[in-house]
Amino acid sequence: MTPITLFENPNPAPAVPDGPLYGTRVALQPTISVAGWPTDAGSAALAGFTALEDATVVQRLRQAGAALTGLTRTSEFGFGLHGSQAGEAVRLGAADAELVLDMMGECRVAAARAGAYGLTPSAGLLSRLGFIGLIPSMERCGLLARSCGTLHALLAALAGPDGRDLTLEEAPPPAPAPLPADARGVTLGVIPQALDGLPAAQAEGFRAALARLATAGVAVRELPLPEYDLFALVHMIVGSVEASSCAGRYDSVRYGRRPPGAKNWNEMYLSARGAAFGTCVKSFLIQGAFFQFERYAAYENACRIRARLVAAAQRLVSEVDALALPLPDRVPEDITAAPLAETCAPFGCTRLASVTGQPALAMPAAGACGALQLVGPRLGDARLLALGETLATVCRGGK
Amino acid sequence: MDFEAVIGLEIHVELNCATKLFCDCPNRPGDEPNANTCPTCLWLPGAAPCLSQAALEKAALLCLGLGSELQPLSAFDQKVYYYPDLPKGYQLSQAHLPLSRGGGITITNERGEARALRIHHIHMEEDVAKLVHELEGRQPISLVDFNRAGAPLVEIVTEPDFRTPHEAMEFLKALRTQVRYVGASECSMENGTMRVDANISVRPRGSSQMNTKVEVKNMNSVRHVGDAIAFEIARQSAAVQAGEAVVLHTRLWDPDKKATLPMRAKFEGPCVPDPSVPAIALTPAWIETLRARLPEMPAAKAERLVKEHGVSAEDAAFLSADTDVAAYFEALTAHGVSAKMALHWIATQVLPAVRERGQELSASPVTPARLAGLLTLLARDEINANAAREVLVALFQSEASAETIVSARGFRQISDTGALDALIDQVLAAQPAALADVRNGVGKATGFLIGQVMQASQGKANPKRIKELLAKRL
Repeated sequence: MTPITLFENPNPAPAVPDGPLYGTRVALQPTISVAGWPTDAGSAALAGFTALEDATVVQRLRQAGAALTGLTRTSEFGFGLHGSQAGEAVRLGAADAELVLDMMGECRVAAARAGAYGLTPSAGLLSRLGFIGLIPSMERCGLLARSCGTLHALLAALAGPDGRDLTLEEAPPPAPAPLPADARGVTLGVIPQALDGLPAAQAEGFRAALARLATAGVAVRELPLPEYDLFALVHMIVGSVEASSCAGRYDSVRYGRRPPGAKNWNEMYLSARGAAFGTCVKSFLIQGAFFQFERYAAYENACRIRARLVAAAQRLVSEVDALALPLPDRVPEDITAAPLAETCAPFGCTRLASVTGQPALAMPAAGACGALQLVGPRLGDARLLALGETLATVCRGGK
Repeated sequence: MDFEAVIGLEIHVELNCATKLFCDCPNRPGDEPNANTCPTCLWLPGAAPCLSQAALEKAALLCLGLGSELQPLSAFDQKVYYYPDLPKGYQLSQAHLPLSRGGGITITNERGEARALRIHHIHMEEDVAKLVHELEGRQPISLVDFNRAGAPLVEIVTEPDFRTPHEAMEFLKALRTQVRYVGASECSMENGTMRVDANISVRPRGSSQMNTKVEVKNMNSVRHVGDAIAFEIARQSAAVQAGEAVVLHTRLWDPDKKATLPMRAKFEGPCVPDPSVPAIALTPAWIETLRARLPEMPAAKAERLVKEHGVSAEDAAFLSADTDVAAYFEALTAHGVSAKMALHWIATQVLPAVRERGQELSASPVTPARLAGLLTLLARDEINANAAREVLVALFQSEASAETIVSARGFRQISDTGALDALIDQVLAAQPAALADVRNGVGKATGFLIGQVMQASQGKANPKRIKELLAKRL
């Protein structure tokens, strides 16, 4: 069996004697910089690279008194879950929480797989300084834990302006609107198109969860979105072009392995990068390069469509308390190199929030109820967590 | 066939900001290699660029100084290329939404006509690292110095309005003056703070078609830009004449061979918007606040100097080419020195003296007030021009006023008729031959006699008075 951890912190004691996260054991991924720790982002292209400084979220974990346990194994650049052990430290009780880079739903699917809760916070809420991913405009620091309460404590400690990431929201998020006193009065929106083509078992679990919530008084509204398929398309085009352009940083020249024998710089680049990247990442980069260099107009269209989708999703969410979307709770067991399509397959329903930047909460399966995702309005993270807590009680068989 | 050239320039100007464009590292490329670096400008994984407010202001000021219109929204893109001077594989540059559009400079062409040369746009970008190629024993090695990596640059892209090397050179000189005026950069091509690429194509004169262009790089003086363009026009004209096609490529100017030579084919892909640097939104109020910081620009200053001081357009252009010179001139005239005398002394005495001593005019010990003291004595005929030049040297060496130096060293000239007549008597008696020459109409004998009188007075006589008195006597 593959070990969960890549690196164990020899000195996990909290850096400060108290704090809101005092004693909370948090596992990280090598896609999130911790000064002095191996930070290869799961890629041979970064083999031997050690971060020079902490990511802002790591600094804040330390300041809040968290105990950093170490690094879990990750997929290459945190993209997809093949080869990733995300969620396992929490599932096995080796950590109370994990930070998981989320570019297309990795944190949410990993949470469901581990039977835990996972929050992909609103874009612009948590500093991205120190993250090593592939899709800058979609990568977010996902939070994974066994309860919404822990997620809430993590969010409170990690969110907020950072002078070193100017893409963040300057103002604190608006005060959350009060929640209905219990599940009665909560309205969830369901996009029927999201169920098209879903594996039967998953669709079944999702319907069971909705039925369970409905019996507890949750109103479920159908909100058709004929353009739903475009989320995956936009994710693939915009995401791969961003990856192709910015993965130049991972040159496998200043770090990583440099194959011998190249006659000149170009050959060195080609052989080093050719040897370093895995099949899936290579396919993703090649796809991006195709759109960047051969179909740039399609990329520009995808960016325009993305802006339209962001507005459409925000409008849908404004009509309800949250959108409910299906969520797979398993990924194919094979953890060796997987082709791009197979790597992306589990993320059909998680890409919506990755494209829009809205907060999304993964709720684990409970009994007959399948795992599901709640997607809230941007910056409505606190309310979404509170909503999740209320609904979790229902799914687990409470009132 | 008669050809004309179509030329456009791309000018990189390195802003003289204290820090780099996206981090707080000192913007001092000349320091010990790799001394001024951090994870951001080493472009290490995980680094996040933070746009420098100071660089944005300086770049915007430069745009305003060139009459270019600041755009309400601009943004950075990733310009992808793979080369060891850019290990992260892309340069942050404003490809789609530049900081400003439009603007231009009016120059005078070879025929004395005014030519308005337009700027297409101005954008910001980060500089790349510097490669140093050396030998380690017999093994050639390349070293990378990141001190320059991430330094703040602006690129000024012109319209293809230029037709001759002269126009390009005049534009660059005027541009340099204006950028220095706003204090954004020294614009030294020799030191690499201004770098110029020229895009050149040729077409039959009178045609309006745009032909395939060739880019020429690596000129390190304004003169070289002119030479490289002239070479390239001749080369392309000959090629077209011979029926060869001009292909799109980049050439390097070789100053030793005085020729352009082809270089590596350029790989350039479309730029992708960078998601890590937020778009720049400029409000009208911010732009107006900045505009208020804009100094009087050279063209306006020259016009005012002509109007207020009656200097010629050419002299006004000379004075306004450097703010320090113009300020010195205006300070002198404010002390009552005539514009003509001020101009003459600045151009022929003060500037050469300052340059010789390696000083800055604005920091010279010979302040406008001290020089005005000297020039007032000269204007009042209390000293002569020779003495004035010696007093100027003394002004550089001591803190004494011109008045004090003149008195102490006996420079005051003799204008008294009695004293001068006595000297003239003495000289005429001693030089009968010269006296005869003068009477016989040998013109230069008069000058000789004046010189003799000057000598007899040990240089203190007023030469104008001598001439008058001599004329009466002869």
